[in-house]
Amino acid sequence: MSQIALFGNPNTGKTSLFNNLTGSYEYVGNWSGVTVEKKVGILRSRDAYVVDLPGVYSLHPLSRDEGVATDFLLTESFSTVLNIVDASQLKRNLHLTIQLLEFGKPLVMALNMIDVAERRGMKIDVKQLSTKLGVPVVPVIARTGKGMDELAETLRSAQQPKPLALTYDDVIETAIAKISRYLPDDIERSKRWLALQCLEGNERVYDYLRTKIELEPILAIRKQTEESIRQLPHGRSLRERLHHLRETFIEAVLEDVVVWAEKQPLTWTEKIDAIVTNKYLGMPIFLFFMYVMFMLTFDWLGSPLADLLDQFFSGPLTDTLSRLLTAMGASKFLQELVLNGIVSGVGGVLVFVPQIFILFFFISLLEDSGYMARVAMVMDRLMEAIGLNGKSFIPMIIGFGCNVPGVMAARTIEQPRERLLTILLLPLMSCSARLPVYALFVGAFFQAHQAEVVFSLYVLGIVVALLLAKLFSSTILKNEHSVFVIELPPYRMPQALTLWRSTWDKGKGFVRKAGTFIFGGSVAIWLLSYAGPKGFNVSMDDSFLAAIGGVLAPVLAPLGFGTWQAGAALLTGFLAKEVVVSTMNIIYHVKDTETLQGLMAHYFTPLSAFSFMAFVLLYVPCLATVATIRKETGSTKWTFFAIGYALVIAYIISLLIYEGGKWLGLS
Amino acid sequence: MVLTDLQPGKRATITNLSIMSELLKQRLIDMGIHEGEEVCVKCTMPFGGPVMVEVAGQCICLRRKEAACIGVE
Ligand SMILES: Nc1nc2c(ncn2[C@@H]2O[C@H](COP(=O)(O)OP(=O)(O)OP(=O)(O)O)[C@@H](O)[C@H]2O)c(=O)[nH]1
Ligand SMILES: [Mg+2]
Repeated sequence: MSQIALFGNPNTGKTSLFNNLTGSYEYVGNWSGVTVEKKVGILRSRDAYVVDLPGVYSLHPLSRDEGVATDFLLTESFSTVLNIVDASQLKRNLHLTIQLLEFGKPLVMALNMIDVAERRGMKIDVKQLSTKLGVPVVPVIARTGKGMDELAETLRSAQQPKPLALTYDDVIETAIAKISRYLPDDIERSKRWLALQCLEGNERVYDYLRTKIELEPILAIRKQTEESIRQLPHGRSLRERLHHLRETFIEAVLEDVVVWAEKQPLTWTEKIDAIVTNKYLGMPIFLFFMYVMFMLTFDWLGSPLADLLDQFFSGPLTDTLSRLLTAMGASKFLQELVLNGIVSGVGGVLVFVPQIFILFFFISLLEDSGYMARVAMVMDRLMEAIGLNGKSFIPMIIGFGCNVPGVMAARTIEQPRERLLTILLLPLMSCSARLPVYALFVGAFFQAHQAEVVFSLYVLGIVVALLLAKLFSSTILKNEHSVFVIELPPYRMPQALTLWRSTWDKGKGFVRKAGTFIFGGSVAIWLLSYAGPKGFNVSMDDSFLAAIGGVLAPVLAPLGFGTWQAGAALLTGFLAKEVVVSTMNIIYHVKDTETLQGLMAHYFTPLSAFSFMAFVLLYVPCLATVATIRKETGSTKWTFFAIGYALVIAYIISLLIYEGGKWLGLS
Repeated sequence: MVLTDLQPGKRATITNLSIMSELLKQRLIDMGIHEGEEVCVKCTMPFGGPVMVEVAGQCICLRRKEAACIGVE
């Protein structure tokens, strides 16, 4: 089957288009750098693959996600390029189009966001644009799906384009000819394109050529060209010169393709920006938004819903299941496994689904509105002070939902060291899986101040992350030069459907985990608590689980929770942090959250409960996050470092909380 | 004159990018901040924080010390 590859500038609607063409649902958001890896889908008509790629400004990558797109061009075979162009930013987008045309594969242009362009007062003559560039151009609105059928039709009949009419100046053309002559004849990519990319200084292309030929002569030609260009009257660098010549060409192409209407009045993006990125209001507004989000999740809306669900699980559901099992004549063992193991373990976590969905809803809202990039801007000054940049804040916010996509999102950070540092600190962001643990404990010990206590834990995570960032960036990860440039997209009214889908997509993972990890974990934990060295159906204190947890108990004693129960819960929590709750439910052998909370008062004091929550927040990242850190850093050493420092810092902080609290007379 | 000297809301033309670091210069050029283009400073963040500029209808945010490397007229 043929393959269609999507290329375009960041945030031009590639993924929206991909979703429309393939009927899938990939991650869409209103900032640059949402997609960070290759995604493959099948066209609705089932006759071609479609590949979604990270957005790039040019084929010369500066960050890890951009490298994915260039690598795709160099190493994979595909039949057609689908170039998505933001109509409202036509001039800038065409720079990439030119480089793609030079590549020489059949190309179809999807002129997206024509609704935005029209609102800005731009009229685009599509026919003329198509003739001037020699490629088919289809106007679309990826958001609503307008123009999709025509686009699919055009893609089917895409043909080899005429060579692009752009010739660079004499110096550059001579260099291209020289390099082309030097390239082997059996090379699979267009020689002119390769030569131009070499002149751009594209490292990925260098690497590709190095596997085939000696690179020195090409570098020498580039150097020589660079010098000749510098001697021209305007004295620019080679790269700027290439850009300038393309710009001139594009201006000529656009000359009578785009007609501007009257200058438009203030757009509402500008009006909103005047407030949310206001010099003094910016930060308070962001904090206020976060506060409302937490209150809704934990207090105003989330808790009542969770209570309702809890009543349902412990009442009607357990009764029905119990009656059903008895009617089926299930053995005592099976009955206990289902009711005490699975229902307590899995149900104990599923109770928190409403809260988690509310949290995800807000994160999706942040992502789709266009506020995300503004947050990066507002936070940059603070982040700079601790050796990071504002862009690191985006993965951190995503990390509040789940650390795994957060670690992935760090790909857009240009500086390798800043990226590594962001990845290492990300697990300190309190993800939604930790939320059930807090909810359980605050319900038991901090009835009157639930939201405040949880909020303090989130803040603790952030503060520890910021302090460690400062520590690491001034010791082991010294940064030579920090970079921060970010595009601020126009605000877009989030669509109800997109919001729902993206909330569901994130929440789905949580529910799925309940069905797999937590289900399996619950069964295993129950079995471990049911069996012991002396046989089956032993008292819990003589079980294998008690023996395993007991090993850890003395180590945890200084932190205020030196029981085998806490030790066992923490051990299993490495699988996924929610499992801590499942384990507690099973160990304390209760039907509903309320009884459990009553029972826990025997084992914890409010102080040791807080110390325990802080420990759960900070101690190791969960299994899935560790695997992602390993993959993204490509280093076992840094992966172990991430686990190690987290354990140490968790121990220290919990110790400080417990001992400090005792000293203050709390208990 | 450099970009940071520009009054918010006033427009100017970029004349010089040459003292900028290579990596950053490429990023800015990619985003449309290049010589001959018109810019407008939209707002600045407090405590020496970044500035937001508008180029060809697109808002871009960059640090103040880097904006100080952009010559305008
Ligand atoms: N008004 C309007 N908005 C659109 C259109 N197409 C996409 N969008 C919005 O533009 C934003 C970016 O869309 P994405 O599909 O995530 O863009 P992308 O090109 O995949 O972005 P990256 O993966 O970051 O490179 C989303 O908020 C979309 O809802 C369109 O035709 N009109
Ligand atoms: Mg995308």
